[in-house]
This record gives sequence, C-alpha cells and structure tokens, in this order.
Amino acid sequence: MEEIRIGVYICWCGTNIAKNVDVERVAAEAGKLQGVVVARDYKYMCSDPGQDLMVKDIQEMNLNRIVVAACSPRIHEITFRKALEKAGLNPYLFQMANIREQVSWVHDDREKATQKAIDLVTGAVKRVRWQEALNKRSVKVNPATLVIGGGIAGLTAAREIARTGRIVFLVEKEKSLGGMMKKINRTFPNLDEASKYLNPIIEEVSSHPHIQVYLNSQLVKLSGYVGNFIGTVNHKETQSELEFGNIIVATGLKPFKPTPLSNYAYKRLPNIITSVEFEEMLSKGYIRLDSRQEPKHVAIIHCVGSRNPDFLPYCSRTCCQTALKFANQIKDLLPKAHVYQIYADMRSMSKGCEEMYSKTAKRGVMFLMYDQKGKLPYIREAGKNEKTRLVIEMKELLSGEQVEVTADLVILMVGMEAQETSKQLSQVLGISRCSNNFYIEKHPKLDPVATTTDGVFIVGSCQAPKEISDSASQAKAAAARVLAMINKDWVEVEVITSSVREEICCGCQICVHVCPYGAIEFLKEKKVSCVNEVICKGCGTCASACPTGAIGSRHFTEKQILAQIEGVMLQLLEV
Amino acid sequence: MISRVDPEFKQELHKYGLREWNECFHCGNCTAICPLTKDDNLFPRRGIRLAQMGLKKQLVSSVDPWLCYYCGECTETCPRNANPGELMMVLRRYLTSCYDWTGISRLFYTRKIWELAAIILIALGVIISFLVFLPPSPDLFSKPQAFINEQGGVMINSLANGISASRFVQLIEYGDLLMAILVAGFLISNIFHMFYRVILSDRNLKFPFYSYFTEFWSLIYNFVTQARFSKCDNRTYWIGHLLVMTGYTIMFTLIVAFLKEFQIEEIKPWYHWQRLLGYYSTFGILFFLIYTFIGRIRKTDLKMQFSHPSDWMFIVLLFFTAVTGILIHIFRVSGLPAATYFTYLIHLAFLVPMIVIEVPFSKWSHLAYRPFAVYFDRLRRAGQNRQSIVELTPAI
Repeated sequence: MEEIRIGVYICWCGTNIAKNVDVERVAAEAGKLQGVVVARDYKYMCSDPGQDLMVKDIQEMNLNRIVVAACSPRIHEITFRKALEKAGLNPYLFQMANIREQVSWVHDDREKATQKAIDLVTGAVKRVRWQEALNKRSVKVNPATLVIGGGIAGLTAAREIARTGRIVFLVEKEKSLGGMMKKINRTFPNLDEASKYLNPIIEEVSSHPHIQVYLNSQLVKLSGYVGNFIGTVNHKETQSELEFGNIIVATGLKPFKPTPLSNYAYKRLPNIITSVEFEEMLSKGYIRLDSRQEPKHVAIIHCVGSRNPDFLPYCSRTCCQTALKFANQIKDLLPKAHVYQIYADMRSMSKGCEEMYSKTAKRGVMFLMYDQKGKLPYIREAGKNEKTRLVIEMKELLSGEQVEVTADLVILMVGMEAQETSKQLSQVLGISRCSNNFYIEKHPKLDPVATTTDGVFIVGSCQAPKEISDSASQAKAAAARVLAMINKDWVEVEVITSSVREEICCGCQICVHVCPYGAIEFLKEKKVSCVNEVICKGCGTCASACPTGAIGSRHFTEKQILAQIEGVMLQLLEV
Repeated sequence: MISRVDPEFKQELHKYGLREWNECFHCGNCTAICPLTKDDNLFPRRGIRLAQMGLKKQLVSSVDPWLCYYCGECTETCPRNANPGELMMVLRRYLTSCYDWTGISRLFYTRKIWELAAIILIALGVIISFLVFLPPSPDLFSKPQAFINEQGGVMINSLANGISASRFVQLIEYGDLLMAILVAGFLISNIFHMFYRVILSDRNLKFPFYSYFTEFWSLIYNFVTQARFSKCDNRTYWIGHLLVMTGYTIMFTLIVAFLKEFQIEEIKPWYHWQRLLGYYSTFGILFFLIYTFIGRIRKTDLKMQFSHPSDWMFIVLLFFTAVTGILIHIFRVSGLPAATYFTYLIHLAFLVPMIVIEVPFSKWSHLAYRPFAVYFDRLRRAGQNRQSIVELTPAI
C-alpha cells in the first residue's frame, strides 16, 4: 500500500473564520497529525492563488490526500475537487472540514472555537486516510421525451422538442388537447381570443410526425433513470410500454369548487356561477341569467377559496387579472350593466395588467374591498319587491361601512388547486409535493423547472398557479434543458452510491422499502438486494436500515465514518 | 337599515362638476399630505370612497368637505390623477344642494339655465319695483343743478320723482329688510337641515348638552377668521379671501344695518371713516376678483383649474355689483345726477339677485356652512371623546 501523504489547508475566509478561530494554531496542530506532510493557512483558499497553492503542493510534495478546512462543502466542495483533478489526483481523495458555518459564525469564544476547529480538522484528517478513488460514470441518453399533460405548457414543450426532430410522447388524460386554456374565452390583458393562440399549437402537435399523442391516457408505472426511462401508459383497456430519456410534467390545475364556502350560496341560489362557468358562457357569445334575461348588476367576488387558510392558503395569481378582464368583457357586451369588483387585495401583476386595472377603473366599475381575515361577503336572496334577485352583504374595508350590493349575476373567482392525480403521479415519478400538493422544484430561484429526480421537469400550473405566458416560458425552459441533455448524448450519474455485499445480504428487503428513489431491486433468483446505481442518490437511508450491514454507501463507509468520529473525539479520548 | 351601494350616484355627481375620480385606488397619499385632516376625519380619502360607493346618507352626514380649503396638494400628490381636491369641491356643491330643503339649489346646480333665468327674473323685478316706487325725477336731465349739494356732489336720495330724501332711504331700507328676511330664512332653515343630517340623525352620537355652548366660540372664531384656511401651505389664498370677506361684510353691514348713516346727501371728505371703509371694501373685492378671474382663465392654479358654471356666476355678479358701485361713487362726486340714478338702479339689479340666489342656494352659502361644519365637527368630537372614556373604563 502506498504511503499516505496528507495536505491540510486552513482557510481564513478573510476575517470570517480568522476573526474567531486562531487559524495558525489550527494549521500547526494539524501538522502534528499522523500522515500530514504539509499544513498551511491561507487568506482565501477558494481563490485562484489558493487553489494554485494546493495544486503546486500536490505535485511537488507528492500529496495523495487533501483536507480543506473552510466553509460548508455545499459551497466549495466542487471547487476543490476540480483543483484535485487539475493536479492529477482523484477528486474523491478529498475531505472538507466546515469551520465557518459550524465554528466561526456560531461561536464567540475564540479559544473554544479554535479547539473545535482543531477537532473537526482532526476528524477530516483521520477520515481522508480511508477515502477511496471513485470514478465518474456516464450513461447514454434516449432522445425521446415523455410529456405528461396536453394543456398549454405540455403542448408548448412537446412542440419545441419535436421541432428539432426528436420524438415526443404526449400523454393527456382527457379526451382532447388544450387543457384549461381551451376553456378560456379571451386572455388578459389585451382581450385576445385564447383560441387564436391555442388552436394552431394543438393543430401542429396533433399532426406533427414526431409527436405521438395518447388521449384518455395516464402514466401508471415508471422505471429506469435519467436518460433511460421505461414508462407504462394506460389508455382505456390497452397499455403501452414507452422508452424515453426525459420527462416533462405539465399536468396543470383544477379549479376550486366553491360549494364548501356556504356564504357564497353556490348551487343553492340561482345565477351564482364560477369564473370557469362564466368563461364558458362568454365563449357562447352572451351573458345572461337563467331566465335568459340580460343582467343589469354583475358582482364579481375575488379570492373564492384562495388565500383562505381553510381551503387554499396561497394566491392563485391569475384571478384578479381575469376578474378585471371579465369587467371589460361585461362592459363591452352590456354597456349599461353595473359591475362590482368585490376584492380582498388587488394583485394585478404581470406585464400590462396594472394598466388594465387602471383602464377598468375608468370604465366606471365599482371596487369594493372586503376583509379576508374578517367576515366574508354573504349572498342572500333579495326581497320580493327588489330590483334584483340577489343581495351581497359585506363590510367594505376602505370606508368601514357595512353595505349591501345588489346583483342579478354573481361570478365567483375560484382559485386553482393541484390536480387530484398529483399524489399518484408524484409517487410514480418519484418527485415531491409541497403542502399545497403542487410539485416541488429543485431550487425555487435557480432551478425552477427541474426536480430532485434527474430527468424529470415540471412546468406550468402543476408547480404552482400560473398564467398562460408563464406556463409557456417554463415549457420552453424545460424543453431547452431536455434538448441540451439530448444534444450532449450522455449524462453523468452519481458516483457516491450504495452497493450490496451479496454474501452478507439476508434478503429481508427492508432497503427496498426505505429507498426514497426506488433504486433497489430484489433479485428473486439470488434472494439478495441489488442497487441500480444510476438511480441511487447515495442518501444512505438503506445503509442505516440494513440489519446485517450488507448494504453500504461508497464514500460513506463505516471505516471512514468511524475514523472521522475518532478524530473528532481524540481530545476527549486522550484526557 | 344597512346602506346599499349605488353605482348610479356618479351620474348625479357629474352634474355637480365631477370629472374622473374612479381612478382612485385608495393609497391614502391625499390624506397623508393634507395639512388639515386629522386622525379621525380622513378626508379626502373617505369622501372619495363614500362617493365611489354612492353612500349618500353617509356623505350628507359628513362635514369633511367643508373642512377642506382646496390647497390642491392632494391632487398634486395623487399617483392616479384622480383629482381628490376637485372631488371635495364637487361634494361641497352637492352638500349645498342637499342642505337646501326647497330643492331650488339642486335645480340651479344641475340645470344652469334655471339659475340664469332666476337671476334675470329677480333683476327685472328689482328694476320694475324701483321704477314704480322710486320713479326718476323729470328734472334729472332738464335741471341737473337742482340735485347738487354744497360740495358739488349729487344728492343721491333726492333723485326720485316727488319722494323726499328720508322716504327714499326708508323705502330702500324696506327692500333691504325684505331681502334680509328672505335670505336669512332660507339660510337658517338650511343650516338647521344640515344640523339635523350631521348631528340629530346620528342616533349613536351622544355628547353633553353644555358642549353646544362651550364649542360655540369655534363657530364665531372660524366665521370671522377662517383660521383653518390659513393652515394650507399657500397663505395667499387665505389673505385674498380674508380681504374679500371683510370688504364684503363691511359693505353689507353698511347698506343693510346703517343705510341711514351711510347713504347720505352730503359728500364727506375722502378721509372720513365712511369713505375709508368704502375704499377698503372696494379694494378687497377688486383684489379678489382680479385674482380669481386671472386664475380661472389661466388655469395654472390647481384649485382654479376646473370651473363649474356656478363658480363663474358668482364672480361675474360680484364683478358687476362692484363696478356699478364704483361708478355710482364716481358719478356722485362728479355731479352727474341722471347717471347716478340709473347706475344705482343697475347696481341693485345685480346686487339683489346676487344675494338672494348665491347666499342661500349656491356658492356663497359656504359663508355659513363652513363655520357651522367646524362647530358640528367639534360637537361630534365631544361625543367621541366621551365614548372613548366610557370604553376605557373597565367594568368591575
């Protein structure tokens, strides 16, 4: 066995670490440890001169293990691994000790902080001795893509990918394409007809030689991994097995049903309809009551279900703009009708929508604010001699007055809910959902269309309520991600994975059940578990659950972990 | 009874000069910048809201519009160009018509031709009765010297045919009295109506009876000084307004209460108190008129940007009254009896309709409504303070 030659580098992080930790003493103490050839401290290890210093040492002193004591590995582990590679050393022969987030930023006592830093560095030095060289692996990417959902997001993504000549499988659970957008009459803020935009896309997707559309279909089973998925799609009585490299989930939303909010009397009193029902009415080209008369007073109630802790605690993002759009459509069709916007907060965001708000106000629409935290507006039947059938009672917040609003027609601006199928599909896909049942993105700011499962992307309202333009943007972003991967032709997969020592495995299958990624399979003939290393993320759940110690993670072996613990505890052991 | 919102109310307000105001989204900048608004009467915002919602009952019971003096800062600050200052002006017109139980005010404000017709009718009435009761002496042209006194001026009370100087003044005084009774009768009943809508109709309002007396000083003080007006950032308005107000009041008092002492045959030297007071009033009124004419025509000043016909009617009548008044003085001093007689007649034909129409039914009624609004506001506060004391006392 080759001689272990360790290099230790203590970073000052400017004054971030040096302020509370005596970095020079840490370096001196580290230098005394077994196997340590060189121990230095430096102002910024992550800087180019800092990395160069390390690279130079590796090459000149023939180092074969490196420890850097600096910030969290989440920030710079990859930076230093790359430096090792540059110096010709396997990047996994490296260990980081976090003496910033875990020491200098959280402790005031310089003496004790320095001691803790020494302990952490000792642990890292002890551990790094046992670390093994691991080799990066890559797999070929299947150039076909599965798109789930045939609304505007799914259609856009499918079209973008197919236009480059790649195969797309488009799975839609309804009997036709178009999704929610098909139910919309006109779009805000310019009141253009939605079909003007949607129909050409549906046409192109339906007739595109590279897109296979599966209507009345659902993905029920998925196996494989990024680049090489195998999915089972159910359509009516038949099933199809499809092979694809990436998945774009665009399952959209479901409108909230206002029945549980009894104060709005939906389905209990006549002429109270949801925004979706009103869109349908508008698509037919008229606005009228059950009695076929035209309404003279139309009340639009906002935030029905949305921003209500008992139903949908979030903002559905599009209802305010839609309500303003409705007001304009009503004024266009029935210029003499009075329109009331009964709102909680006006959130008319997006390009051109504030202008629409201002324009709508000028058209003589009455805006009435209710207190969402207080008593919600209440709809009751009007007296017999009244001019309208319905009366809305509310406390108007901006005037502080208790008022009544007369109405012939009430439109309830219902919020957006996650699809009922979202739970089932999240299990099939191995992606997570937030507390509101929408799919969770990999990073809310920096990676909004990817998920923690490689090769699975989420676009449109299945991620959170969204307007058409945002859904289209996301669809195109995901399409670009998929195409980039197809173009690259191969994909790098995680090296730090689990592996099974078959001779010890007792076949209890606990690991199969605990694995959150579905990466472990039970081999019936051999009666042992087997890890699919492409799917495995190296989380270590299986290793901690295994009763026999047969399964373990690479880079987190028992030996490595125990050595690190021993190092950290060294001071105590010596006393 | 819970109030109903009324989307048609804005049509009504349009007649009172409302332009665009639905743009307002209640950011409250207007109220924040207003130098006059207080914590608990949040004008102009609250007024805009009540108007937008068409809550007439709440509007009529609120005195807020009278507490605003239209400095225009709210309008300058408004991010949506909703023009809150002008809305307050519109509401003052609206309230004037609401306080007037006869409905005449409403008619004049909403149908301009009626106001003009009423003015012409009263002017004709004045001319006819003057010619009947005080016909011109035939000697005015043939023997003008007969009407000249020792100072070389016209003896103003001796110009009517066969009517003695004392009789002349007496008849004019009767006319004055009739006009004063009419105007006071309408105005006082309107103020009582305002009192009913603001104070009496609010069942929840309770304040000690002595507040009526303890707060009364505010009525007098504000009537005389318009102290609130001086709190607006631009004090020129206040000074200009004070000039016209004092000038007009002095003149009004002299001709109504002291006609016998004021309208005499003798022409006093220029430094006599009578003439000095007359000159002061003339200066005050002219200063104000020139200032407003220029302002309303040039429209650079926010508060004078939008002129309702009633605004013009008021200053045009005042202008002609003032000009004819000055002419009477010039003709008298120059010894021209015929010119004096007919100018006097025309002067009355402008003066009487101005007072009879403008004071109880139109713009000029603010002379009473503004100080009473301050008074009523203080009464309401006296009630609120009491209520809050009651609330703060723990129930043991």
